[in-house]
Amino acid sequence: MILKDEMLDSLLTELSKEQIVYVPKQVNGTTRFAPYVSSDKMKLDQVNTVMPPKDLLFPQTQNMYHYGVEKNSGNMFIDPVIESADQILFGVRSCDMRSFDCLDAAFLTKGYIDEFYQAKRDRLTTIAIGCTEVSETCFCESMGQDPNHAPQADIQLRHGEGGYNVTAQTEKGEALLEKFKPFCEEGEVEVADVHCTLNVDASNIKDNLDILHESHELWDSMSYKCLNCGTCTFVCPTCYCFDIDQENRCKEGVRFRCWDSCMFSEYTAMAGGHNPRPEKRDRVRNRFMHKLNYFEDRYGKMLCVGCGRCIEKCPVSLDITVLIDRANELAQAEETEAAHA
Amino acid sequence: MSDITTTLRERARALMEDGTIAAFIGWEAGRFERQTTPLICLDAADTDRLIFDEYCVNTTAKYVRDLKQRGRIGVAVRGCDSRAINRMIEDNQFKREDVYLLGIPCPQMNDRKTGTVLNKCQDCAHRNPVTYDELLGEAMEETAPQDRYARAHLVSGLDRIARQNIFNMAFERCIRCYACRDVCPCCTCRTCFVDQRNVGWLGKQDNLSENRFYGMIRAFHISDRCIECGECERACPMDLPLMAINKKLVEDMNTLFGEYESGMTTDNEDALRSFSKTDLEEFE
Amino acid sequence: MPVVDEKKTTEEEWEPRILAFACNWCTYAGADLAGLNRMKYPANIRLLRVPCSGRVNPQYVLEALQKGCDGVLVCGCHPGDCHYSTGNYYAKRRLMIFKRFLEYVGLEPERFNVKWISASEAGRFRDTVKEFTEGVRKVGPLKESFTLAPSAGDKLFGAHNESEAPASEEGGAA
Repeated sequence: MILKDEMLDSLLTELSKEQIVYVPKQVNGTTRFAPYVSSDKMKLDQVNTVMPPKDLLFPQTQNMYHYGVEKNSGNMFIDPVIESADQILFGVRSCDMRSFDCLDAAFLTKGYIDEFYQAKRDRLTTIAIGCTEVSETCFCESMGQDPNHAPQADIQLRHGEGGYNVTAQTEKGEALLEKFKPFCEEGEVEVADVHCTLNVDASNIKDNLDILHESHELWDSMSYKCLNCGTCTFVCPTCYCFDIDQENRCKEGVRFRCWDSCMFSEYTAMAGGHNPRPEKRDRVRNRFMHKLNYFEDRYGKMLCVGCGRCIEKCPVSLDITVLIDRANELAQAEETEAAHA
Repeated sequence: MSDITTTLRERARALMEDGTIAAFIGWEAGRFERQTTPLICLDAADTDRLIFDEYCVNTTAKYVRDLKQRGRIGVAVRGCDSRAINRMIEDNQFKREDVYLLGIPCPQMNDRKTGTVLNKCQDCAHRNPVTYDELLGEAMEETAPQDRYARAHLVSGLDRIARQNIFNMAFERCIRCYACRDVCPCCTCRTCFVDQRNVGWLGKQDNLSENRFYGMIRAFHISDRCIECGECERACPMDLPLMAINKKLVEDMNTLFGEYESGMTTDNEDALRSFSKTDLEEFE
Repeated sequence: MPVVDEKKTTEEEWEPRILAFACNWCTYAGADLAGLNRMKYPANIRLLRVPCSGRVNPQYVLEALQKGCDGVLVCGCHPGDCHYSTGNYYAKRRLMIFKRFLEYVGLEPERFNVKWISASEAGRFRDTVKEFTEGVRKVGPLKESFTLAPSAGDKLFGAHNESEAPASEEGGAA
């Protein structure tokens, strides 16, 4: 099926009658996924948005409980606050689609289901668009994605001359496709595949990182220039660490969770003052190990999707692809050394 | 520029080899075209990676704090870096003899994407290092900026509602990554007010009022010490107009309490750390 | 929205809420004297005693404004009369800058002020409070204009007592 370019607005207007449709656009001086409004210009042809779409499912600040003392009876109450709404995520890229796999694994598997996440996840429909251009920092192919196609998406669009090819990939997608039909016509447009210009060999990175000891010089040299700000973790589509805090007013309060960053020293600080990751190098190591090693251990997939946002935004250009290259090199050197010994 | 790179490498290597310094802070090429990244050399061999060109955007002085226990630290300094060093010496972060400064007159840095002069370099008044042990290359003639407070004047000319909208929008998009604090050579508190969770200055929720509290109070804390390097604004991933705030504070202090520039010497009298009985009285 | 807050922000019933930091040695005693002399001044003001105007951290001022005060007044000894000799000189510099800063980011000038009031100036205390309260009354409630962003709990606070059913079961939009 083809969705012509000129029909896109009417389709999105139709879709947003019943659900909130999030599209990539310029909001308040930055690009992010925000509710569709027909008068606002979308940013569909550009590369990744500055902010990832993870806040649709895992907002930066999310209320969890409302608690307090009832005015008349004096009884205590605790009400869970579970927010959820029918949402469509339109125009998401392959890398961000894969990031939902990671978030699902973290929030919904291994015997614990996070109901705050699940309530939003169940009612989310995703419409992916294959990339038409790549940025210099894109390296999703090295992390096993195809920039042209996101297998996890409910509906996949590919842009070609004059329109989009539409394919439903899941049951949810099939159902939503019914709404597409009045705006589409039969046939197919010709599409061209794009490929990342930045390529690294990440096939063995997990094992290679296992070879390098915690005290390896690599971690020193990688961490010297890190500032320990939280930029990389906040723009990352897969970083899911959070902190829980509360806001109180008189006799009631809300407990909320908010994004936290393993780059902050406060993140691992314990009651009593001990900090198991006291130094910058420990924190830098932890972040990269979590992305490329620990998560794969536990969930069988890499926590980096290759979107390149951290490379783009890091104030000191600390580059995860450089780390991958160096770790491969050093691990090989250690292996040859061990073989000789 | 390439001869500065060569001299820089030579001098850094020589200093490391004769034991004058234990580490050297400079820049190296990044993975992408025209990208540079800070380089910390701990070994004489590392100095071959040093470069200096128009894309060395990072102000690197803050790394001295992390490295000072290793011994004397060599730093490649331009105007802003040297003022950062002075500022940190004045704030008792280290002593002048703990650093060995190779001064480089700055050609003004460019944005790697657009190739134009970086915002932070546009109203720079001190391209030559203000303190150094050796100067590489010829000192250049300083050009005073047309308007030192241009960034603040863009906003202060507007009416109240317009200003409020500008800052509300800015603080609304802040993600509280604290990059502005971590990159700032003036932010050297052992425990930042942000991290004093038990005191509860700042909630962790990301909303306008908490973000504004952070943004305003951080700016106010460094207000009389700000060296106007603009590194906070460059580091900000959400492009907040942080220098419009800093410049406003610096401008007010200059007009009310007399002309000064932070970081030019190590014995500056900071405006909020001192007073004069003849100060303007407006609270009668 | 919480019922309590809504009432306060409707125009007829709204009364400005003002926080005044008063130096222990001068202004607080001045306020005391105003009371002894049975002087009348608006009850909108809450006095908070501090050892010295130099103790007033600008963070307090911003915090008060963001947590629901419509105006903040800082009062201390006249320059030269400080109990600790120099505290108010530092306060003066700091608050001069901070006042300009608040106005720069969009606060009305009427909402924040500093006044020097000695222990004997009961009348001056009364006049200052009157004047300041009128100024704040003129510019109206702060909430809409400065603290636009709802806090994390704003949608929930008061909701439990408002209706029988807990608010959460309705499920708000994301």
